Amino acid sequence: MNRNGRKWWRTNKHKLEPARQNSPSPYAHLTLSKETKENLQTLQDIYSKCSDVIFRPFYIGKTIKAHVVFISGLCTVQDVDQYVLTPLMQANENEFPDMEQMAEQVLAVSRIKNLATIADCIEEIGSGNPVLLWEGEERALSLGLAKWEKRNIEEPSAEVGIRGPREGFTETLDVNTSQIRRRIKDPALKMERMKIGGYTQTEVIVAYMEGIVDQTLVEEAKARLNRIQIDGILESGYIEEMIEDNPASPFPQLKDTERPDTACSALLEGRVVILVDGTPFALIAPVTFFALFQAAEDYYQRYIISTAIRWLRYLFLGISLLLPSLYVAIITFHQEMVPTSLLISMAASREAVPFPGLVEALLMEITFEALREAGVRLPKQIGAAVSIVGALVIGQAAVDAGLVSAPMVIVVAITGIANFMVPRYSVGTAVRLLRFPIMFLAGTLGLLGVMLGLIAIVVHLCTLRSFGVPYLSGISPLKPKEWKDILYRSPWWAMKTRPHFTGEFNQYRQAPDQKPGPERSEDP
Amino acid sequence: MLEKGKISAFQMGVMMYPTIIATAILSLPATMATYAHNDLWLSPIWASFAGFLTVYVSHRLHQYYPQQTLIEYSCQIVGLIPGKLIGFLYCFLYLMWTGQIVRNYAEFVVGAFLFNTPIVVVIASMILVCVFAVRGGIEVIGRAALLFMPLFVLPLCLMVLLLLPDLDWQNFFPVLENGIVPSLKGAVVPHIWLGEFWLTAFLFPLLADSSKGRKWGMLSVLAVTITMIATNLFSLFLFGSDVSSMLYPLMIASRYVSIADFFENLESVVMAVWVLGAFVKISVFFYVIVLGSAQLMEVTDYRPLVWPIGFLIVLFSFWGIPNMIVFNYLDETSLPYYGFFMQILLPLLLLLIAKLRNKPQRMKSAA
Repeated sequence: MNRNGRKWWRTNKHKLEPARQNSPSPYAHLTLSKETKENLQTLQDIYSKCSDVIFRPFYIGKTIKAHVVFISGLCTVQDVDQYVLTPLMQANENEFPDMEQMAEQVLAVSRIKNLATIADCIEEIGSGNPVLLWEGEERALSLGLAKWEKRNIEEPSAEVGIRGPREGFTETLDVNTSQIRRRIKDPALKMERMKIGGYTQTEVIVAYMEGIVDQTLVEEAKARLNRIQIDGILESGYIEEMIEDNPASPFPQLKDTERPDTACSALLEGRVVILVDGTPFALIAPVTFFALFQAAEDYYQRYIISTAIRWLRYLFLGISLLLPSLYVAIITFHQEMVPTSLLISMAASREAVPFPGLVEALLMEITFEALREAGVRLPKQIGAAVSIVGALVIGQAAVDAGLVSAPMVIVVAITGIANFMVPRYSVGTAVRLLRFPIMFLAGTLGLLGVMLGLIAIVVHLCTLRSFGVPYLSGISPLKPKEWKDILYRSPWWAMKTRPHFTGEFNQYRQAPDQKPGPERSEDP
Repeated sequence: MLEKGKISAFQMGVMMYPTIIATAILSLPATMATYAHNDLWLSPIWASFAGFLTVYVSHRLHQYYPQQTLIEYSCQIVGLIPGKLIGFLYCFLYLMWTGQIVRNYAEFVVGAFLFNTPIVVVIASMILVCVFAVRGGIEVIGRAALLFMPLFVLPLCLMVLLLLPDLDWQNFFPVLENGIVPSLKGAVVPHIWLGEFWLTAFLFPLLADSSKGRKWGMLSVLAVTITMIATNLFSLFLFGSDVSSMLYPLMIASRYVSIADFFENLESVVMAVWVLGAFVKISVFFYVIVLGSAQLMEVTDYRPLVWPIGFLIVLFSFWGIPNMIVFNYLDETSLPYYGFFMQILLPLLLLLIAKLRNKPQRMKSAA
């Protein structure tokens, strides 16, 4: 990729110097000159055929020629008129010896930055800030007026809950960081900014709690992010695939979340949160298999109920992975396991079905998957039609026509529901996929095949790591201290320590002996 | 070191448990009953001495040569050529045994469940899964064993619990009717199983906390012994003197389970659970062969050896074993002798020489 000292996305386009990101910009050698005309010409050349870039010439006071450059839509014209043009045009240029003083006294803009090179100008213009060029100055001023249309903060659609905060991340990075900062006010919350993507120049933030996180983990995360050389980042999924430990795995090795509260709890546990501009999905690393079964709500409702629900999830994870295969294995190989009365009714319903169990199961499962995928992708108006077709055709008609047996419909339906029990969509999809090879094994080797498939999956999970942390950490390697958040959700007053991943970490998250009781606290 | 991964001593202990027990609970109760009759519960106790001894010997040798496995230190103890020969003997022995274990597993599965499936499919599918684990290294096997341990043990405990009403405690008596000799005879075959703890000679150098290695090794022997006593007693109470005539007493026991006319004929479940144990057993043996032969040939990476050795194991599961009758006959006639030599005598000999070799060095360093 880098063989000719040139990045692949640049090789046959511009003959400019390569690598915009993580290395000097292609325009880095261009400095601003005293002649505004020259500067303006350079910028106009760079932004040729960009109809959305606006160059507005004007005079400061009566004599000094100046230009303001901005991209329409990335800042409001009213703001530029009101806070930049008006005061500058009305100012008396003779009162101010230089640009800095002028900016301090006249411009009613709080974020102002001095720019020395064309590259800086391009960066600022690109991120929406108007840039002010000035006759007789070798600098330019960036005016922090960037403002564009953005989606409002809404309830996260992929992670809903009954109890708990209702707001979710949005596509705008600043909004997301502000949501985290509002929850964690301590300056120990660090947010390191970097830009990834040759063309998109996407802002990525690595957030962590200094003093809680293992510093080597932060270094590792930053190193992996810095390694990325790509033309664009449009979603955190790009980053996820570029920094995970094992690319050849169906299981997610980073947790994605839309919820600021989940991100904050991850920060407080000593994890690293990676926020990406342009997507509401933040990435959390490292993550263990069991952490993917924790929903935000588990920590807001009563712990006894949360524990029960967590076990229900584990159970239904097993069901969504194994139920169709177990059914196939039992009806093909191990009929003796079924109690007689049940066996008779099952045999009666299967009598008319022309297919062997495996084919029947595959037929139904694949149709179900297709319906589900279609339901996600279809326009909302047609969605209802699909569900009716699905319910009627797959449910009633298929059984009536003798294509599939009623028990199989039940099995498929339960499997489908079970899959939605997994709080992380990404794990759910992995299980959805793995169901099929196990079904094949069940159809060929019976229960033995199911077990072999299960062993293979577990062995694979044992090889997985997320940022060096074993994926099944807690259970294997065994860490009884971690069970408080795996086997049960311990009450908050008992959740004394943070989960342990690697290296040094800040162990205790709360003071001891906080178990509440009926005794009144004594007055001092 | 060829293996970069490390396991904890606890993981090793957990790993060794199914490695011994998986096949030990299958046909051994019947074998022990043949000789010891209703004193069969005593035989594991005698046999356990072999287990404790091998763990002790392998740990002592590990103390002399902390970073080395059996293959490496045997060269240092008896010299290069004899050492390599010993290493080859062990690799070959384990290769042969793994073939036998796999065959035993496959015969059990085909004989009891998959009557029409070609046996080679059953063997190859298991080896395939094991290849997957062995390529992952000792860490993966250790972690998988830890996960499977409760899944392997709890259902068996549950089965015993469900059969409690059917047990007849009177079968226990008379104790030691013919003296101690029958139970000692019964211990001859199972001592090979407990002697398989000699595998720890390959595992001790891979421990992150080797100071706890002996403790967990011994505890593992203890757990195995207790489990064997328990299964023997269980079979005795359930079947009385019929145990000796059964091929797989525990499997037959599972057919007795009948709760509320719903939980019936659970032998498929027992088989499925037992497969977990068999997987751990085969993987550990497989891994030891791969690691051992890699060290024997002094190659830099053991992973390229995994597939060929997996293939060899499939072959060894057919060579020399025409059927299970011959297999069981060999188990009772030749196995105790060469097993005793390889797992008890040779290790003791190695320890003796190592002791003699290291003594003057110690005195030198003291002076």
